[in-house]
Amino acid sequence: VELFRALAVLAESPGPGQVRIAATLGLPGTPDPPQHTELFALQLYPYASVYVGAEGMLGGEARDRVAGFWRALRRVPPHEPDHLTVLLALYAALAEHERDDRDPARRLLWGQSRKALLWEHLASWLFAYLHKLSAIAPPFYRAWGGLLAGALAAEIGAVGPAVTLPLHLRRAPPLPDPRTAGAGAFLRGLLAPVRSGIVLTRADLARAARDTGLGMRVGERRFILESLFGQDAGSTLAWLESEARAWVPAHLACERTAGDVARFWAERAEATAGLLAELRREPASPSQQYGSAGTDASAITL
Amino acid sequence: MDLVELNRRVREAREAAEARGETFYPGPSRIHLAAFPPKERWSDWVELDSKAWPARVEKRFMLVPTTCFNCESACGLLAYVDKDTLQIRKFEGNPEHPGSRGRNCAKGPATLNQITDPDRILYPLKRSGSRGEGKWVRVTWDEALDDIAGRIRGAIRDGRANEIMYHVGRPGEDGFTERVLAAWGVDGHNTHTNVCSSGARAGYHYWLGLDRPSPDHANADVILLISSHLEAGHYFNPHAQRVIEAKQRGAKLIVLDTRLSNTATHADHWVAPHPGSEAAILLAIANDLIRRGRYDREFVRRWWNWQEYLACEHPGAPSTFDHFEGVLKTLYANYTFEFAAAESGVDEHVLRTIAEIVASAGPKLATHTWRSASAGNLGGWQVPRCLFLLNALLGAVATEGGTYPNAWNKFVPRPMYLPPHPPAWNELTWPREYPLAMNELSFLLPHLLKDGRGRLEVYFTRVYNPVWTNPDGFSWIEALTDERLVGLHVALTPTWNETAFFADYVLPMGHASERHDLHSYEQYDGQWIAFRQPVLRAARERLGEHIADSRQVNPGEVWEENEFWIELSWGIDPDGALGIRRFFESRQAPGRKLGIDEYYGFIFDHSVPRLPDRAAAEGLTPLGFMRRYGAFEIQKRIGPIYAAPVPQGELDDVRADRFGRVYTRAPAPPDPNIVPTGSPEPDAEGRRPVGVRVDGEILRGFPTPSGRLEFYSRTLAEWGWAENALPTYIRSHVHRDRLAPDQKVLISTFRLPVQIHTRSANAKWLDEIAHTNPLWIHPSDARELALRTGDLVRVETEIGYFVVKAWVTEGIRPGVVACSHHMGRWKVGDAGQRQMMATVALERNDRSWVMRRMEGVGPYPSPDPDTLKIWWTDVGVHQNLTFPVHPDPVSGQHCWHQAVRVRKAAAGERYGDIAVDTRRAAAAFREWLALTRGADDYSPDGTRRPYWLMRPLRPSKGAYRLPDRAQPARVGAE
Repeated sequence: VELFRALAVLAESPGPGQVRIAATLGLPGTPDPPQHTELFALQLYPYASVYVGAEGMLGGEARDRVAGFWRALRRVPPHEPDHLTVLLALYAALAEHERDDRDPARRLLWGQSRKALLWEHLASWLFAYLHKLSAIAPPFYRAWGGLLAGALAAEIGAVGPAVTLPLHLRRAPPLPDPRTAGAGAFLRGLLAPVRSGIVLTRADLARAARDTGLGMRVGERRFILESLFGQDAGSTLAWLESEARAWVPAHLACERTAGDVARFWAERAEATAGLLAELRREPASPSQQYGSAGTDASAITL
Repeated sequence: MDLVELNRRVREAREAAEARGETFYPGPSRIHLAAFPPKERWSDWVELDSKAWPARVEKRFMLVPTTCFNCESACGLLAYVDKDTLQIRKFEGNPEHPGSRGRNCAKGPATLNQITDPDRILYPLKRSGSRGEGKWVRVTWDEALDDIAGRIRGAIRDGRANEIMYHVGRPGEDGFTERVLAAWGVDGHNTHTNVCSSGARAGYHYWLGLDRPSPDHANADVILLISSHLEAGHYFNPHAQRVIEAKQRGAKLIVLDTRLSNTATHADHWVAPHPGSEAAILLAIANDLIRRGRYDREFVRRWWNWQEYLACEHPGAPSTFDHFEGVLKTLYANYTFEFAAAESGVDEHVLRTIAEIVASAGPKLATHTWRSASAGNLGGWQVPRCLFLLNALLGAVATEGGTYPNAWNKFVPRPMYLPPHPPAWNELTWPREYPLAMNELSFLLPHLLKDGRGRLEVYFTRVYNPVWTNPDGFSWIEALTDERLVGLHVALTPTWNETAFFADYVLPMGHASERHDLHSYEQYDGQWIAFRQPVLRAARERLGEHIADSRQVNPGEVWEENEFWIELSWGIDPDGALGIRRFFESRQAPGRKLGIDEYYGFIFDHSVPRLPDRAAAEGLTPLGFMRRYGAFEIQKRIGPIYAAPVPQGELDDVRADRFGRVYTRAPAPPDPNIVPTGSPEPDAEGRRPVGVRVDGEILRGFPTPSGRLEFYSRTLAEWGWAENALPTYIRSHVHRDRLAPDQKVLISTFRLPVQIHTRSANAKWLDEIAHTNPLWIHPSDARELALRTGDLVRVETEIGYFVVKAWVTEGIRPGVVACSHHMGRWKVGDAGQRQMMATVALERNDRSWVMRRMEGVGPYPSPDPDTLKIWWTDVGVHQNLTFPVHPDPVSGQHCWHQAVRVRKAAAGERYGDIAVDTRRAAAAFREWLALTRGADDYSPDGTRRPYWLMRPLRPSKGAYRLPDRAQPARVGAE
């Protein structure tokens, strides 16, 4: 419990309190404000809705579902109910209630709430998130992520496997096919982890530009992706395909712990890789337009 | 990795930190990454230039915190300073500010309009024609300072110190200027408070010894508000956001307001009583709590001064709590729901329903009233007294979700110098007829001057506009244009206003981002300070420049007040002979002027607990920390200070009076927080009051004479108001029994939430949203008068009339009309605000005045292209001119509600017409004066005023003595 709270606090903007907690945990170095900003404000936004929402953005139905969970516990949802910090802090609070409540019936309810939170709103996305974090974070936050993954796995071991796939994942639509849904929806889907099975950060897109030898135009992620497609759709599709293929074993690496959740993510990544490969093999020239009826007006040329 | 071991390590570290009284977990950050720029990027923040869209042009900003100055909430602002041009491009919320938490109302961002206002005053001006003629010449600051300082020096040297007066609207700072006046030895502080909040303050003060409440809205189960205050007035943003949080949690919100205010629209129960009947409703609820035994007996027994009450009012009766409870049941027995329903016009079952909700709150009852009922009615000061009675019955005092005294949630750090109390008493502000007035009788000044009670050699108006804001503005003009009464009028203001037109000097002062100030306000159960600073000074200093004077960075020659007062004080006492200069000298470099960095640096270094450590943890000086973040939270969760045991070290040669008030010879320990509180007198042998004995323990108690909550005010009883010594209901001057059949009540005290009194005049974004003040009138009344929305109506008061447009709405109670005081700005000539001031013609025939609107506003060319887009012409009507003064004889509060006659305007009557006879205004002044019970006749101890009551710029104790009881002040034939 204490560990979860301590790890929650470290996802916040660093101050003296964070420095003290980092030292207590024996993490390497101290939390550094610019590193924190780079990681959490610019690369890996620590909100469940970004990873399990169909839009791949803050808010939306995914956040409403998380807020609903708070309400079901008779708590006022905080301003950002799906922020990693508040979710971890809530988990710690539920575990404390379970530990301290003398009424066995209520203790059982606390335990069920804790398990629901763990599976529905934490494990449903955190393994993918922490995998990406381990790849791009500086040493301090990489160690933090490792600790969090370990703690998460330990808790899963304690509460037992989920009965069903989390609702976020059950409700997640698949990645749209640009040939029927339009390129705009396809690009948005690629950037929505729960649809594509992959997490694409700004740093990843910069890597894509480097790997493919294309120019990197600075902007938000969709703008970058569009500009890569605009320069060379074929290379971009190929790069994305290999990225998606690499995610499959990454997800399955935690299959023993996360079970169906890991398999869900791996299947999504595999489907994405398959679709990308199909698109790449299309005889169409790089300038072929994948727009069709029902697509948005901003359908772009791939 | 051993997770169990890590868990253990963290737990032990937390327990060790908590054992040291420290907080281990910083808690969820108040910074939402999605909403605010991370603070570590404040020195170089990149955004796309919205004006360049669709091109993607990056703009680099430096983010500098300051504090909003558009109401008294002191919300945090973050100024975005363009690094290329060093201009401020926008203002947003400061997430580091504990009160506002990164949020602002519309007024905060509109600071940008104010600093770029094409009509603002940029240079010192001196009148060149007769006063009020509208002719001005630009002068240097030195010329102005020499003239003003010379006059003040002369007045002090000649023993005419009472001819110096500083009249302030919103102070926006924590006592700097009061200390300037104290350093001059002048009792010349004059506030607007008696047209604002002194009625409410009085009600709280008699209970608590502190003059404001601090409701813990966020944690309340029931929030009971009288008037529209929280959504439209003081502390709008910090309180409103916490009210909404409570509502989200399921708390009930009850609003008593005759008018459907913005707050009322959010209420679970909106109750619209007849104006002035609020106290009757509150006492009916109290009676219900008492009758049904639903109050907190233990709290009442321990903390009310019931023993003192029984001893004074029931001598010979047993001094037991049981007996008191029996008496209590009888005291309010007549305040039945039937009675309250008859008085208020609200259905009895509604009153029973809200009483039940209040009773269910227990200690989680947050209550608040500030203006409206307290400021509108004769006896309005009893409304907060009756409201707080509910808290006192339920024990909802300084509890989580209850109501705190303000001073416990406020921190005023001790400055470098604290000049002594001035040895003088100014009867122009504190006339003997009003010994219990909570604040200066500022709005009576023209009458007191004309009455021959004194004159003013130098009169400062500072961000204040009495001609427009106060009632009876034409009497103000008469006084201000009479140079025998006012020798020199200096208007310190960022913008033109109706009072500045009648000044001799108009001196440009800075807006929120152009000045230094320090403040702290009660907004939740915690203490914080916030620092206002000239943004461009801080920005340029970050770039390595040294800025010695805010005029170097402000537009034109706009100055900040701190530097102005220091300079002026040196001008008054250049060689130190008057003993003034020493309070404005550097300690680091004796003999030189005190600089702003040294002044605030001292405070932050020495008087703000934990700030130096917090700053050091970031490698900053305390001043550097405040310049960087703009605010600092000193402490959270203050809790019930009254119940804290008095430490043994403060107990020496202790004595207790028969009611348990405890006195000590031990000196008070030094306290860095100098927040004003009541100051109960020492015992007869000079021991200071230190606490109160409760069930054998010596606890801190309240700063009242008894040390307890004063259900019974011996002060009121001894000073001639025995019938009002308990919380009670006083029938208002607009009670239905006092109205003629054809009269209605006019409510004038409500605001428009996006406007800011005088300073909002040229805030274009705000002006576009709200720029007029129609008369709210109920459909049933409109039918009777054959009125439709938009028709012109003539509203007749005791001293004149105004013509305004009607707005027919069910949002007002039948028999009551309402018109916001926020509108109706005017100018006579060219100078002035062209976005919100109508051009008017003023005609005077002896003491009969007529104002006619010549022209509304319209588009005009200026450096701001938006001024060509002004589409509105109507700026409302200045109703306050037609109100006579109504000083409450106890609190001194001007009672704003008016008994008026409303009729359709006749042919020839035009929108904005105003007519007033100031002879009738003088007669009204005398009528209300006759209600008073003056110190000459009622003082129990030969003093002008109870010494323990709070008073701005408290004089020395000797000045409290009445000078000559044989010759009481008399009102002459004005």
